[in-house]
Amino acid sequence: MSFLELDQVSVAFGPAGNRTEVLSDLNLKVAENEFVAVIGFSGSGKSTLINTLSGLEPPSTGEVRMAGRRVTGPGPDRGLMFQNYSLLPWLSVNENVALAVRTAFPRLSKAEVADKVAHYVRMVKLDHAGDKKPHELSGGMRQRASLARTLSLDPQVLLLDEPLSALDALTRSELQDQILNIWETDRRTVVMITNDVDEAVLMADRIIPLTMGPGATLAEEFAVNMARPRDRHTLNDHPEYMRLKSEITSFMMHLNKESKELTAGKVVPMPDIRPRDFSLPSATPRLKPRAQHPTSAA
Amino acid sequence: MQFRNTILLAAIGIGSLHAEQLDVEKDELKFGFIKLTDCAPIVIAKEKGFFEEEGLQVEVIAQPNWKQLLDNVITGELDGAHMLSGQPIAATIGFGTKAHIVTPYTLDLNGNGITVSNAIWEQMQENDESLDTPTPEHPISADSLKPIVEEAKEDGKKLPMGMVFPVSTHNYEIRYWLAASDIHPGMYTSTDLKGFTDGDIELSTTPPPQMPATLESGKNVAYCVGEPWNQQAVAKGIGVPVTTNYDIWKNNPEKVFGVTRDWADENPNTLIAVTKALIKAGKWLDAEEDGKLVNREEACRILSQPNYVGADFDVIKNSMTGYFYFQKTDKRAMPDFNVFFKYQSSYPYYSDGVWFLTQMRRWGQITEPKPASWYHEVAKEVYLPEVYMAAAEHLIEEGFLEEDEVPAADFDGYKPATDEFIDGISYDGRKPIDYLNSHKIGNKDDASLASK
Amino acid sequence: MADSSIKDKIKYALLKGIDVSGFKVLDPPVRLAFGEEPQKQVRDIAKYMVLPILFVLACLGIWTVMGPNHKTKSGEVPTPAKILTAYEDNKRFDERQEEKASDFIVEGAEREATLAEAEAELARLEAEAARLGELSDEIAAAAKEQMDARIAPLRSELESLKAKHGELEDQREAEMTALAGKVAEKQAEPAELVAMVREHEKIEDAEGATEDVIESRIDEILANPPEEVKEAQMAANRVADEVQHYKKRIAILTNENRNVKEAEYLEKIAKDEAELAAATEPKKVIREAKSIARNAERAESATTQTYPRTATIFWQTKRSLATVFVGFLIAAALAIPIGIMCGLNRIVMACLTPIISIFRPVSPVVWLLIFQIIIGAFFPDPEKHPLFVSLNQDKWFGWLPNPVAFLQTNPAMIFSACTVAMCALWPALVNTALGVSSIDKDHMNVAKVLRLGFWSRLFKIVIPSSLPLVFAGLRISLGVGWMVLIAAEALSSSDGLGKFVWDEYQNGSSQSFANIILACFVVGIIGFFLDRIMIFLQRLVSFDDGSATA
Repeated sequence: MSFLELDQVSVAFGPAGNRTEVLSDLNLKVAENEFVAVIGFSGSGKSTLINTLSGLEPPSTGEVRMAGRRVTGPGPDRGLMFQNYSLLPWLSVNENVALAVRTAFPRLSKAEVADKVAHYVRMVKLDHAGDKKPHELSGGMRQRASLARTLSLDPQVLLLDEPLSALDALTRSELQDQILNIWETDRRTVVMITNDVDEAVLMADRIIPLTMGPGATLAEEFAVNMARPRDRHTLNDHPEYMRLKSEITSFMMHLNKESKELTAGKVVPMPDIRPRDFSLPSATPRLKPRAQHPTSAA
Repeated sequence: MQFRNTILLAAIGIGSLHAEQLDVEKDELKFGFIKLTDCAPIVIAKEKGFFEEEGLQVEVIAQPNWKQLLDNVITGELDGAHMLSGQPIAATIGFGTKAHIVTPYTLDLNGNGITVSNAIWEQMQENDESLDTPTPEHPISADSLKPIVEEAKEDGKKLPMGMVFPVSTHNYEIRYWLAASDIHPGMYTSTDLKGFTDGDIELSTTPPPQMPATLESGKNVAYCVGEPWNQQAVAKGIGVPVTTNYDIWKNNPEKVFGVTRDWADENPNTLIAVTKALIKAGKWLDAEEDGKLVNREEACRILSQPNYVGADFDVIKNSMTGYFYFQKTDKRAMPDFNVFFKYQSSYPYYSDGVWFLTQMRRWGQITEPKPASWYHEVAKEVYLPEVYMAAAEHLIEEGFLEEDEVPAADFDGYKPATDEFIDGISYDGRKPIDYLNSHKIGNKDDASLASK
Repeated sequence: MADSSIKDKIKYALLKGIDVSGFKVLDPPVRLAFGEEPQKQVRDIAKYMVLPILFVLACLGIWTVMGPNHKTKSGEVPTPAKILTAYEDNKRFDERQEEKASDFIVEGAEREATLAEAEAELARLEAEAARLGELSDEIAAAAKEQMDARIAPLRSELESLKAKHGELEDQREAEMTALAGKVAEKQAEPAELVAMVREHEKIEDAEGATEDVIESRIDEILANPPEEVKEAQMAANRVADEVQHYKKRIAILTNENRNVKEAEYLEKIAKDEAELAAATEPKKVIREAKSIARNAERAESATTQTYPRTATIFWQTKRSLATVFVGFLIAAALAIPIGIMCGLNRIVMACLTPIISIFRPVSPVVWLLIFQIIIGAFFPDPEKHPLFVSLNQDKWFGWLPNPVAFLQTNPAMIFSACTVAMCALWPALVNTALGVSSIDKDHMNVAKVLRLGFWSRLFKIVIPSSLPLVFAGLRISLGVGWMVLIAAEALSSSDGLGKFVWDEYQNGSSQSFANIILACFVVGIIGFFLDRIMIFLQRLVSFDDGSATA
């Protein structure tokens, strides 16, 4: 029985007559408490996919269903963790989490909210930095804060949009472990977008490649049949791991090549497939350049 | 005439109380003034405590320009102000801002001068050899200016000149001076409110403090203004005063103290008290001993304070102590350059009002011909000799004034006819239409209006 | 160890304060005081403190040297020293108002003591004034003699030149007559005569020019009496002004003092009461009773009177600050909500864009004139209008001292404030709209995922996120408002620095330029501090690392 379902979903942007289909004919079924990783190249429409799942981006055709019901918009039951953290910079870590808690559980008293906040902040090991503002934190800490906020919604589905791609390798593995830990102790449905094969194999139950856009679709899946908990130190020697990794990698390389050949033949200019509304700012702190705006407004 | 009755009643009611403060309706007042030395009576009445003696606390506030001053009086921001003689009349008949303004007191006589730039002065000297001395004979008419004006006109230019305000004495004086030498200063019409029509020159409004600067920059080649701005031109060496308004019309009325009619109606006793204080100040300013004006130096000292006129003491002193510098080397005695009180000058004469009305008609500010009776009516609406006389009576009773220092009680408010003008034309305030028709340049009206 | 940690705490508190307030320049001295990398700090101090100070001093030096040599006939550029003197004079002027105000209310023995003091001072000052007056006359006479001595040779040169030119002219005249005779007799060509006329005109012009040179040299000497004459005159004038002031003080202390007046009225009442007791006629009784009532009223009103002070630059400054503050508040109160609406809703933005575009470039002067009509209509009788009555009464509800009574609020102030508001509105509005419309889409996505309602979205996301830009806009607004205010005050005769400048300009005295430049510094320095305050606030609401450009 699938818990989260994409049924013939296509997403297109642009005015009628010049529409660019970013995703076409996607079908995906995620079972309850399953950990699914979607792997793809940058620009293939991964973020669009996760936005569609979260309800931020309604599909042009087809349907997104959760627990059998059609998804019409975003909501706290699908906790979305953004690629670039999206913490509110004027609030401290605790306040960011508290904002989520208060909206997800509006009936809680002040003390209960504080307890819940403390709980999730402790869960991601940020209790020492609860009063800090996002700009005072490192990238990893920010992502943990973002995770705490997402978890605090107590969502039925966790949607992780390349959560670790902006981090350095060490922080990355540390966070992978942490996410896995949390997932192991408190299982729930997870869809994670990633561009890292190692990460996908380490964390997911199933890995589904996304073909190159435009008109990207989901390719055949790879099941990860490895026991949990998986130990990253011994994993490298695991034959299944080796096999999956090389298979997926070669599949992806092939995809890439195919796509290049395709575009080379067609002479279609590469459309700006990133929708304006969801353009992802660079990972550098985005407020600095803004401080200079005022002079231009004078 | 409800107002006149109140005044009369007030006069009778208080008359029996000897040397007693009037029962003023309002004791904290704000008066406005423009930074010109002829605001002296108001400033002196405050600084020498004459207002205090009448139980009045007065604030004296500098105003940026005549228009704003009038507006502030009309809106009630100010209780009263130092005004150009033409202002109450023009406001009452509705030329410019319309409001009924009245005046019980003439602040001073004379006090203006016409200054020309150095270049024009040199050309005037060329045209009239007799001017080419350090001390030319006065009065200097505009005759020697006429060829310059005509030459400029042939070149397609009209010489630019400056005056202070469309209804100021300065405007009428410089027009009179020019017209007396057959230079047409331009007419006002219902569509030309700048008064350029048919003019040989262009006479425009310039704020007094800017006069010397405009002369220096060539924006004006001549101007008519009050003190200290003629003496400034001499002190700075940028122009030569050629005549004073004393020479244009001997002892002409200059500024008045004005309040709105409504204010006067509401505060009849206050108005008398203010007039009393102003008379005292005027008398103090004109006090003489052995032919010397004994208080003028102190007055200059007070006026030179930055919150009053604020010009340098020496510059103010130049004109106010009975002398006038026509050039740096030409200092002449002008004992009557500023008259504040003597010659019964502070009385508000109807004939003065009529003269200003004739000038407004002459230059087209009054566009319609009016019968003689209209001139007298307007003068009586604006000038309040009864207030002045009520104040004077108190002062006589208090022993502050002699009876001969003010006109007799049965005086009708018209000065005797005089021909002491630069062109020798006789003026009789009782005959405005005849006077109007005796000028060569300017509007003339049907003689039949004289008897209407 | 504890000691050093406290020291560190103080140090970091200081550094943080410096950082937030934006006075980065004070950073090295503080670090130096705590012994941190002394060499680097000394270098920094030299670079960022000593050099700028030297530069400013150099500018002052250039100003001092160039000023007196740079002049028009209307005056010369006053030196920094003269501006300092102007400041001193203004301070003295302010003190005089204080003295007079206190003389007005002082009572009893204290009044008599003050009077005695003032009289003694007056006597001293009069002697001093006489001495300085004589001295100044002497110096002026000496200078005149000296000038005359310099002028005399020029004069005689001019005379002889004129005489010579007169002779030459006579000669030319004779030549011309001779030639004219010949022409008349047809012995010479008329053209020859015309040529001669032209020639003569040229010569005359040349002669006139040489005369002019000498005349202008005479004028030059007359126009520039030696500096010491002016100085002596000014010194004498200063003391004479002081004499005048003391005379007025004595007049206040003896006659105008409110307690003296009260005593006078009380005395009159006593006299009237005696007469009332002795009176038999009913009419006379009534008259005396009325007189008593009137005098009692006057005596009572005398006790609460205060001396009507004259505006000084210090008071004008306070009033300007109050006006700009009111105007700024109005601007902020309009700009922020409208800006938020514009930023949130494209239709509102589209509706307001033409209005904003058309009105934004309009000059403050125009606004002032328009507001005089529009706002003026609300206050037909300002003195009785409840707004002004309540703003200007001494006490609120009869007991609470009114902190704004000293401002003497009037319609002119409101016009100026509205003009400030109208001009200061735009930067704040545009920046607010920009701030709201350029909210990070991710933050909006967060709001969507959390399913925040309109109001919590507004207050939790929109406003906090646009605050830095809003404050940046407000900062520009305040700067614009302060600049505009001076012009508005000058034009509307609303008391404030603008009026001070305009009055000084109208005074046209030898001190006027110095006072105007003094006002320029006052305006500049206050503007600087206002800007600093806004930067400080802007930093407080900034949520980034505080590196907002200063």
